[in-house]
Amino acid sequence: MTARASGARRGLGAWLAQRASALAMALLAPVFLAYAVAHAPLGYAGWRALFQPLAVRIGALLFVAALLIHAWTGLKEILIDYVHRLGLRLALHFLFGLAYAGCLVWAADILWGAA
Amino acid sequence: MRFSIYRYDPESGAAPRMQDYELDAGFSGPMVLDALLALKERDDGLAFRRSCREGVCGSDGVNVNGRNVLACVTPLAGLRQPIEIRPLPHLPVVRDLIVDMDAFFRHYRAVKPYLINLEPEPENERLQSPEERARLDGLYECILCGACTTACPAFWWNPDRFLGPAALLQAWRFIADSRDQATAERLDFLEDPYRLFRCRGILNCVEVCPKGLNPAAAVGKIKALLVKRAF
Repeated sequence: MTARASGARRGLGAWLAQRASALAMALLAPVFLAYAVAHAPLGYAGWRALFQPLAVRIGALLFVAALLIHAWTGLKEILIDYVHRLGLRLALHFLFGLAYAGCLVWAADILWGAA
Repeated sequence: MRFSIYRYDPESGAAPRMQDYELDAGFSGPMVLDALLALKERDDGLAFRRSCREGVCGSDGVNVNGRNVLACVTPLAGLRQPIEIRPLPHLPVVRDLIVDMDAFFRHYRAVKPYLINLEPEPENERLQSPEERARLDGLYECILCGACTTACPAFWWNPDRFLGPAALLQAWRFIADSRDQATAERLDFLEDPYRLFRCRGILNCVEVCPKGLNPAAAVGKIKALLVKRAF
C-alpha cells in the first residue's frame, strides 16, 4: 500500500458546518417570515420597525453568518473539485474569504447602522 | 439491430471513433454481451472483457446508451437504437471497451479489504451472531465491476485521491464486521477531505449499481461514526 496510513484528519468539521448552517437557516427563515407576516402590511417605516428589537437584529446577523458559512464550505468543495492548480486555488480561497468576511461586516453595518 | 461501438487501438495511432454494426433479425440476444460476442465473431479485433456471463464476476462493465451496466445482465430489448456501447467513463482506455482499472483497484487495496484481527485464531472459526452477520448484507455482495465509481463525478475530478463509492462501500463492510478490530485505524485513514469527503451524496452510485447496493448509505454510516468519535 503506497497511500499514507492516516488521512489528513480534516473534512469532518466542514461537512458538519455545512449541515449545521443549513439547519440554522431552515430554523431562522420561517421564524422571521412569520414575524414579518404578523406585522403586515409593511411600508418602509414598518420594515425598519421590524428590525428595532435587538433579538431580530441578532437573528438576522446569525442568518447571514450561517448563509456565508454554508456558501464558504460549498465553495471550497467546488474549488477542490475543479481548480487543481494550488496557486490559483489558494488565491480564490483568499479572495472569496475576504469577500465573505466583508459581506458579514456589511450586514452588521446595515442592521445596526440604520437604527 | 443497430449498434454504435467505441473503437480505439492505441497501437494504430488513430484517434478513437464510433463504429456502426448491424445484427440481422435472426439474432436473438437476449443480453448486450450476446450481441458483443456475435459481433466479435464477425470482427475479431473488437476487444472487451467478459468471463462468467451471469453478473457475478464483474468484468464486463460497459457504458450502454449513457448508463454504466454489466453487458451480460442487460437485456437488449427496450434499448434505444443504435445501441451505443462505450467503455466505462473516465478511466484510461486500453483498447476498445477495455479500461485500465488500476486506479480503481489501488483505492480498493488502500482500504485494506480484509479482516484485521490480531487475537490468536480460534480452533474453528470466529463466530458471529445472526444479527452481526446481518449487518454485512448489502455490503459483501459487491463484485467490483466499477460501474458506481466510474459514474461518480467526484471520482472523475479527483480519480487519484477520492476513493470512490466501491472502495468506500468495502471500507464500511470491514468497519461493520464484528470480527474486525481495526475500526480506529480505518477511520483514521478515511478521515480526509479527498478520500471520503469528496462524496456529495448525489447517488449516481446507487442508481447504477447492477447488484442493487447502496454505497452512499455506507458513506453516511462512515460519516456518522466519525461524528460519534469526534464528539
